[in-house]
Amino acid sequence: MGNNLKQMDRGGNVSPGWMAALVFVILLAACPGASSVFAAAEDESLGIKLAKQAVRADKHWTTVDHSKIEILNQDFSSGDQITQACLSCHTDAAMQFEETIHWTWEVPSEKPGIMNGKAGHAVNNFCISGNAMEDKGCLSCHAGWDGTDGLVNCLSCHGGEKFPFKETFADLAAFAGDDDPDLQEIVTQLHADIQKAVKNITLPRRNNCGECHFKGGGGDGVKHGDLDTSLAKPNQNLDVHMAVDGADFTCTRCHTTVKHHIAGRLYTRPAAAERKSLIQDDMATKITCESCHSATPHKAATKMNDHTDKVACQSCHIPEFARVNPTKMWWDWTTAGKMKDGKPYVEKGEFGKPVYKSIKGSFTWAKNVVPQYFWYNGSFDNIGIKDDIDPQQIVEVSHPLGSPDDPNARIHPFKIHRGKQPYDKINKQLVAPLLSGPKGYWTTFDMDEAITLGNQTLDVPYSGEFDYVETTYAFPITHMVAPAGNSLGCIQCHTRDNSRLAGITGIYMPGRDKFAIVDTIGLIAVLGALAGVTLHGLGRFFTRNGREE
Amino acid sequence: MFKYIAIFFTLAIFTLGSLSAVYADEGPDGNSRKGKYTYRKVIKACHERGEVDSASPQVSPADKKRAEWKAIFENKNFSAFGCLPEWDALSDDDIMDIYAYFYATAADSPTPATCN
Repeated sequence: MGNNLKQMDRGGNVSPGWMAALVFVILLAACPGASSVFAAAEDESLGIKLAKQAVRADKHWTTVDHSKIEILNQDFSSGDQITQACLSCHTDAAMQFEETIHWTWEVPSEKPGIMNGKAGHAVNNFCISGNAMEDKGCLSCHAGWDGTDGLVNCLSCHGGEKFPFKETFADLAAFAGDDDPDLQEIVTQLHADIQKAVKNITLPRRNNCGECHFKGGGGDGVKHGDLDTSLAKPNQNLDVHMAVDGADFTCTRCHTTVKHHIAGRLYTRPAAAERKSLIQDDMATKITCESCHSATPHKAATKMNDHTDKVACQSCHIPEFARVNPTKMWWDWTTAGKMKDGKPYVEKGEFGKPVYKSIKGSFTWAKNVVPQYFWYNGSFDNIGIKDDIDPQQIVEVSHPLGSPDDPNARIHPFKIHRGKQPYDKINKQLVAPLLSGPKGYWTTFDMDEAITLGNQTLDVPYSGEFDYVETTYAFPITHMVAPAGNSLGCIQCHTRDNSRLAGITGIYMPGRDKFAIVDTIGLIAVLGALAGVTLHGLGRFFTRNGREE
Repeated sequence: MFKYIAIFFTLAIFTLGSLSAVYADEGPDGNSRKGKYTYRKVIKACHERGEVDSASPQVSPADKKRAEWKAIFENKNFSAFGCLPEWDALSDDDIMDIYAYFYATAADSPTPATCN
C-alpha cells in the first residue's frame, strides 16, 4: 500500500498530507477567528487603518482657564447662582440644553398625541414610568439643581469632580446668622470647597455620563447590560474603545454633540439617519461603527466584508454583555409588598445583588450574557400607557423593528429584560404607578392607590382593577466591544445546533439551514465526485498505474 | 356621669402625653450638621498625622443602627474609628455634635447617610 502511495505521488497526484494543508489554509482564509492568530504578522484591515486615522491622539485644547474667571470667585449660596455665572459667558448654553431630551425627558412619538420619554407616555418594565416628572425619585438624574425647579445644572455634565452641592447649600443655609466661631470656620471652608468644584470644569467625562447612564433603572447595571460602572475604567478585554490602556475614549468621542443635542438617543427613531463614514462627511456623527471603520472594515480577502450589509458589527464583536458587573434580567412586581416583622426588607443573592425588595419585588441577575438577535433598522416599536395590550400574550413593551427585506436592517444583538408589571384589567392598558413620595407605593405599599395617583399624573383613566402581565423590553447592545481575537467565529452562527442566529428567520444561512433540493444536489455531487475518484483510483491501481510490468 | 368621663379622658390624655414626652427617644442634644463637619475634621487631621490612608471618613453613620451608635458614644469607646488622639482632643460638645450626626443618619434612621 505504501509503495502504491509513493507511486501515486510520483504520478503527480496530491498526497493526503498536502490535502490536509490545503484544507487548513482554506479554513484560515474563511474563518476570522482562526486567521486572527496570524493577524499581527499581516497588514491591518481597512477598518482599523481608517479608525486609527480618524481618532489619533486626543488633540483637544481650550483657551479658557476657569480658575481665572472672576465671576467664579464668589461665595455661592445656591445652584442657580452658579448657573447664572456660567451663562454670563456661555450665553446660549442653557437655552440650547433646555431644547434637548436630557432636559425635557420627552420626545414626540410617531403616534398622534403621544410623547415618548420618561416624562411622556412611555413605560418600561423596571420602575415603569417617570409619571410626567411627578415621581421625585427619578429626578436625581434630571440635570437641574432641584429636579424640574430652577436652572440647568451645567456641572452635571461639565463638573470635573463629584461634589455634594445640594447638601452643602442646605448646610450653609442652616448655618447662616450663627456667630459660633467653629461654624464660621466651617462656612468659610465650604465656600472655598464650592469655588474649587465650580472652577474644575471639563468636557463630559465617563463618570459624568455614567452617573446616570451606568445606573439607569435604579442601580449599577440594572438597565442596559452593556453600560455599567465597569466602563468607568475598563481594560482592553472589556471595551477596546474606552479602555484606559487602549483608545481611552470618553463617551463624547462617539456621542458627538451639536448644540447640546447628543448623538445616539434611541426611542423609536434611529440614532443615526444615515450610515456615513467621516470620509464621506467630516461633520457626520461618529455614532455608527461605519463612521470610523467604513462599511468594508475587514481585510479584502476575507468573507467577513460580505456580511456587513446584513449583520451588525456588534453581533460578532460583542460576544457577551455584562462581562464584569451583573445586569438585571428579570423583575417581577407581583411579589412586591411582603414584610418581615411588619417592615419592608431586602434579600441579597448571587453577585451580592438584591434578589428581593419589598418595595420592588423579585429580581434575577446574570453575568456574561449571550445576547438575543433580531433584525433591527434602528427603530423600535414601543407600547405606551395609552396603547391597548393583549394580556394573554407576553407584551413586548419595546421591540426592535426590521426585516430581511429592509435595506437598513441588520441582525443586531439585544438584551431582553423580562418581567411582570401591573396593567388595567378593564381598559387592557399598562399602568404607571406612582412609586416615591409620601403617597407613592414605596411608602404606602398600596398598588391600587399608586396606580390611581400615577395614572392621574399622565391624565390616563384607570378602571380601578389591576392585574399583572408578563412583558419584555429590548436594549440594543453596542458597548463593551471585545478585542478582535474574542469576536465570534463562523461556527457560532453557521451551525445546525445551537446557532446564535437560530431565531433569525427569512434568510438562508449556510451551515444552519437545510434546503432539501440544494442538499440533494450537493450530496449527489459529493457522492459522484467520490465515486469518480474511487473508480479512477481503482482503475489506476488495477492497471498498475497505467504502466506495463 | 358625663363630667366623670370627660375628666377621665382628660387625665388619660395628659398622662399619656407626659409619659411619651419623658420616654420619647429624641436623640442626642447636639448640632448634627456641625457634627458632620467636625467628624470630617477629625479624620482629616488623623490622615495628616499619618494614621489613616484616606482623608475621607471610611466609617459611615449608615454602617450601624442607632442603638449601636448610642452604645459607642455613651461609652466614649471610639476604637472602631481609630484616630484616638484626635477623639481625645474633642470637647464634650463636639462629641455630642458628632453623636447627633451619627444618630440622625444611622442605618435605621429615616434618612441614612449616603456616600456623599
